[in-house]
Amino acid sequence: MGKYSKQLVLISVFLLMVWMLLSGGEKALASSENDPLVQLQKSVDEILMILQSEELQAPEKKDERKQRILAVVNRMFDFRGMARSSLGQNWNNLTAEERDRFVSLFASLVEQRYIGKIDAYSNQKVIYKNQRVRNNKARVYTAIIDKDMEIPIDYSLQISQGKWLIKDLKIENVSLIANYRRDFNSIIRKEQFAGLVEKITEQLEKSEMQN
Amino acid sequence: MNYFRTKKNIISPLYMAVFFLLLTATHAWSEDTADQSPDAQTDVTLATDEAVSDAGDDTWTEEDNWDDEWDEGDTIADPLEPLNRAFFHFNDKLYYWVLKPVSRGYSAITPEDVRIVVRNFFDNLRTPTRAVNSLLQGQVRDSSVEVTRFILNSTVGIFGLGDFAKDVLDLRSTKEDTGQTLGHYGAGGGFYIYWPFLGPSNLRDSLGLVGDAYLHPLIFFDADWGVIVGLWTFEKVNYTALTLGDYELFTETALDPYTAVKDAYNQYRNGLIKE
Repeated sequence: MGKYSKQLVLISVFLLMVWMLLSGGEKALASSENDPLVQLQKSVDEILMILQSEELQAPEKKDERKQRILAVVNRMFDFRGMARSSLGQNWNNLTAEERDRFVSLFASLVEQRYIGKIDAYSNQKVIYKNQRVRNNKARVYTAIIDKDMEIPIDYSLQISQGKWLIKDLKIENVSLIANYRRDFNSIIRKEQFAGLVEKITEQLEKSEMQN
Repeated sequence: MNYFRTKKNIISPLYMAVFFLLLTATHAWSEDTADQSPDAQTDVTLATDEAVSDAGDDTWTEEDNWDDEWDEGDTIADPLEPLNRAFFHFNDKLYYWVLKPVSRGYSAITPEDVRIVVRNFFDNLRTPTRAVNSLLQGQVRDSSVEVTRFILNSTVGIFGLGDFAKDVLDLRSTKEDTGQTLGHYGAGGGFYIYWPFLGPSNLRDSLGLVGDAYLHPLIFFDADWGVIVGLWTFEKVNYTALTLGDYELFTETALDPYTAVKDAYNQYRNGLIKE
């Protein structure tokens, strides 16, 4: 009887090890380096680290802090694609220089909104729920737990030169691109594209003064 | 005497409804653990349907337009725009001149935990709204979860101050309201309305607000208007104190804040109705 139970223990230990090996292997496969979720998490973690770094909180380090955040953000977003879809049809009527100028203005605007949002929540927890990948497009579903409340942030990404870049994000179901498209349109309708450029420049200067 | 009799007549069916829902809740709850999320369910059916390995994705097709949404989308009707813009301006000033300083002062004298507890308390009072509207949308399980949450949080959670049901039993609240129920049955938003004090809304959701109000305990039990307004203001201050900075960030990174808020409201509500 005693011999029997020893065998049973051995077999179950063996099975357990096999199971652990298999499930571990599966996990390693599931979250490879090239996953959009993994890439996104890395970048967001990097931003959070800069935001939370005590060393960089000093007032004289403010510029350095901002530059370091921008460096990460610029690697994460496909600003050209985003700028284009935020303008819709209007993009087609622009010259190459107009486009370049608009892309950089647009990038600064998005950086402000996005970093501001992340900054406000820098002490909160970010959770990565799941991802959906199809061909060269992906969705990554995340949420920020802020003051005991869950704020969903969904990213839409597209692969470009082997890297996943953000094309749009939805905070509580509100798409950044769709929101800017409506916003820009209401200006363009009244003041044309020149008016829009002027307004964005003004807005950026104003917030520059405040900070 | 007569007064009491009428109240009793309203309340006894309410008790029966609560009892019934509680019964279904315990039943639904045991089912719930089997299939964690509604997503899991649809994924399985889709995968067998399409037999493509990575096609287990319910929202994809419908949301596929998310990034390629090229057309301007249907514009939001706004016949009251001049009036709405005036009220927007009014609320904006109200925020910077009154609500923000008051909320700042309030948050200086209350710890964050207290503000969260206050928010939970007010949130708990809205449970009847959510429970009834989940039920009206045919979501019996969500509705019974709301009732269970209400009973647990009002008792073990002490008048709704804590969210015992979520923290311990992972019973999560839905955000249903009457406007969403109308939307669920196909009602469009109608035109945009920006209310003084209340903020962005539309015809459908304004009607919804009336429905929500009748389902709110304060109005259901006929509290004084002074009490209602006072508590509403307190709730608003408490909420603002918890989200200070959000409004500024959004409006300052928008070019025409009025349009940006209108669109964000529309997207937010449509997202909630779709859920």
